[in-house]
Amino acid sequence: MLETAPEAGSDKKLGEPILTVNNLVKHYPITQGILFKRQIGTVKASDDVSFELHRGETLGLVGESGCGKTTTARTILRLETPTSGSVIFRGKDIFKMSQKELREVRREIQVIFQDPYASLNPRMTVGDIVAEAWRIHPEVLAKEKQQARTLELLEMVGLNPDHINRYPHQFSGGQRQRIGIARALALNPSVIVADEPVSALDVSVQAQVVNLLEDLQAELGLSYIFIAHDLSVIRHICDRVAVMYLGKIVEIGDEIQVYEHTAHPYTKALLSAVPALDPNAKQVEHRILLEGDVPSPADPPSGCRFRTRCWKAQEICAGEIPELILRDTDHPVACYFPERPA
Amino acid sequence: MTQVPLQTRDLVAGKPAVPGAPLLSVENIHVEFRLDFGTVKAVNGLTYHVNERETVAILGESGSGKSVSAQAVMGIIDSPPGFVTDGSVKFRGVELLTMAEKERRQVRGERIAMIFQDALTALNPVFTVGWQIGEMFREHHGSTKKEGLDAAVELMDRVKIPLARDRVNSYPHEFSGGMRQRVMIAMALALDPDVLIADEPTTALDVTVQAQIMQLLSDLQEETGMGLILITHDLGVVAEVADRVVVMYAGDSVEKGEISDVYHNPAHPYTMGLMDSMPRHDVQKDRLNPIKGSPPDLMAIPAGCAFNPRCPYAQDICRVEKPHLHELGEAGRVSACHFVEEVRDARNRSGSRL
Ligand SMILES: Nc1ncnc2c1ncn2[C@@H]1O[C@H](COP(=O)(O)OP(=O)(O)OP(=O)(O)O)[C@@H](O)[C@H]1O
Ligand SMILES: Nc1ncnc2c1ncn2[C@@H]1O[C@H](COP(=O)(O)OP(=O)(O)OP(=O)(O)O)[C@@H](O)[C@H]1O
Ligand code: SF4
Ligand SMILES: [Mg+2]
Ligand SMILES: [Mg+2]
Repeated sequence: MLETAPEAGSDKKLGEPILTVNNLVKHYPITQGILFKRQIGTVKASDDVSFELHRGETLGLVGESGCGKTTTARTILRLETPTSGSVIFRGKDIFKMSQKELREVRREIQVIFQDPYASLNPRMTVGDIVAEAWRIHPEVLAKEKQQARTLELLEMVGLNPDHINRYPHQFSGGQRQRIGIARALALNPSVIVADEPVSALDVSVQAQVVNLLEDLQAELGLSYIFIAHDLSVIRHICDRVAVMYLGKIVEIGDEIQVYEHTAHPYTKALLSAVPALDPNAKQVEHRILLEGDVPSPADPPSGCRFRTRCWKAQEICAGEIPELILRDTDHPVACYFPERPA
Repeated sequence: MTQVPLQTRDLVAGKPAVPGAPLLSVENIHVEFRLDFGTVKAVNGLTYHVNERETVAILGESGSGKSVSAQAVMGIIDSPPGFVTDGSVKFRGVELLTMAEKERRQVRGERIAMIFQDALTALNPVFTVGWQIGEMFREHHGSTKKEGLDAAVELMDRVKIPLARDRVNSYPHEFSGGMRQRVMIAMALALDPDVLIADEPTTALDVTVQAQIMQLLSDLQEETGMGLILITHDLGVVAEVADRVVVMYAGDSVEKGEISDVYHNPAHPYTMGLMDSMPRHDVQKDRLNPIKGSPPDLMAIPAGCAFNPRCPYAQDICRVEKPHLHELGEAGRVSACHFVEEVRDARNRSGSRL
């Protein structure tokens, strides 16, 4: 698909950045002992991550289990204490904000979680779950308007407003995820961080929720950070994609750049592992089968973290960590020997 | 069935008991769970078979009865509340459901093996993996501890666990998810089964690890000639490895056929809906086309065609008469839809084919 020009990938023009993540680092200490805790190491869960989220776009974070997607998202919102770095939102660094300022940020940036059931209080009705947001942020909506707005939100996410007094267990998985979305929308956010929002859903229901998220974005001008390990879902919903491996972004670009002009060997291997939906595709014959397991994030390889499993690795890969920059590629890649269009 | 013991001996020795019979066949199986507040009709007439060297995929969404139907084959339905109320399960032509318990256990234990859906938690955390694999040999072949461990090392090599000899005394928590799944496969293969039922063997694993495990299963199948029944909800995995597919909805098959026929020319609105719901990593797709609504409550399956409330083609007859599987032109191709021809024409006209 080389005839496609690089810019063809983004059908939306990039808006101005609404969120800028600079060199975000989150290390978790590994401790030993009960009474006298000693630190015996660190898990480099998110290590020097930088990206921009533009207004109205969907940025995907994709990678395998444990690569640091959730840590990155939670640290942005200071749900985890950052180790270092900065996150600029509306001109201010979230990491340096007072509790009061942070509270306002957490209204504007809402989170949707993977497990719709675990994140909904089983003893609250759907109406109460949605309205609870306004108890924490009463400035958003006057009390007398809340009932009407709740009905409106339920309708908006495709739930029957007559079910406002039902409990979460009376809904299916897909419907519960809709409740979570209605709750997030209650505070009129401008950014939604969705951590594996459709991973637990069956494919037919997953498609309903994906379409809903797309419709809401178009209607409300939302920006999304969309986390998933499913490369097909990510391609479908995202404008731009960041691929993570062991706490680092290995390549970032628009959907066409990452999927069609894939530059990092890890992304190549990842894409080739996804089964093709066509029985005649013979994908298996061209598959890059990675050897072994992902190394421990407590003791990542020196230099490029992928080098221990990479078929292109040379001596240089064990030295300096390759930076995420343009390397005769149409998008930034953190590899000394990137794949280039032939 | 006077000759059961003799047949069983042949069966366990891997000899065909009834010449020409499929390796394993499941016919019109029904399973229900009788609970205080109602009866869950989990499997409702499922029929399929698998031959040697063949991979048959059972494809369906959550709750469609895939695991329960496999449990019925293995004779491990949780009973009560679960009951197999009708149907037949034949191994090399010999009925298993009415076989005496002792023989049946032998056939099922040795000739038909299963990898369970929750495999990653199925290993016992307090015993070493070598001990757990060796258990199969100690129990079925009366091996000694030492023989069991040696056999475990050999099997671990076969499922490509690196440094098997060094790792045979490790505990499950010292293994990654992919390595634990290899241990489960080793245990399933220990007695050299003729049929392997793999229930979602890669669902909890990352895609690169999934590719490794599927490759391993297909190599092992090549080597042993076993029949593989692969239970999954992943259309991609099915497209890649299966010879034939059985699409399940509400406990019964809605269509069956050879893999490329089903993918290129689906013959049931449910299969079509699944395909149109799939996002793709290899092509740009503007908008997904989901199936409306959600799967039925198995305590109150809709009358007529179970899919009718979600089906864009449903007519009056679909709400009263259950469509039976009927044959289509292609080999082994069946569909349970009153309007197959019309539905296929409509789809071909609209051009929404893969
Ligand atoms: N509270 C914690 N303490 C110590 N280590 C942690 C903590 N939370 C996460 N980690 C580790 O940090 C790494 C990154 O985890 P994270 O949950 O961010 O990954 P992820 O990409 O979201 O994975 P998944 O796809 O499984 O959700 C992992 O090695 C994980 O074990
Ligand atoms: N022990 C049990 N008691 C009561 N109901 C059960 C039991 N086991 C299974 N069921 C019900 O039988 C139905 C079919 O379940 P089954 O596990 O076969 O689905 P499945 O197709 O394997 O789904 P999944 O993809 O989620 O594994 C479900 O409605 C389930 O709740
Ligand atoms: S039988 Fe009727 S309801 Fe069922 S799939 Fe066919 S058209 Fe749809
Ligand atoms: Mg996560
Ligand atoms: Mg199951």
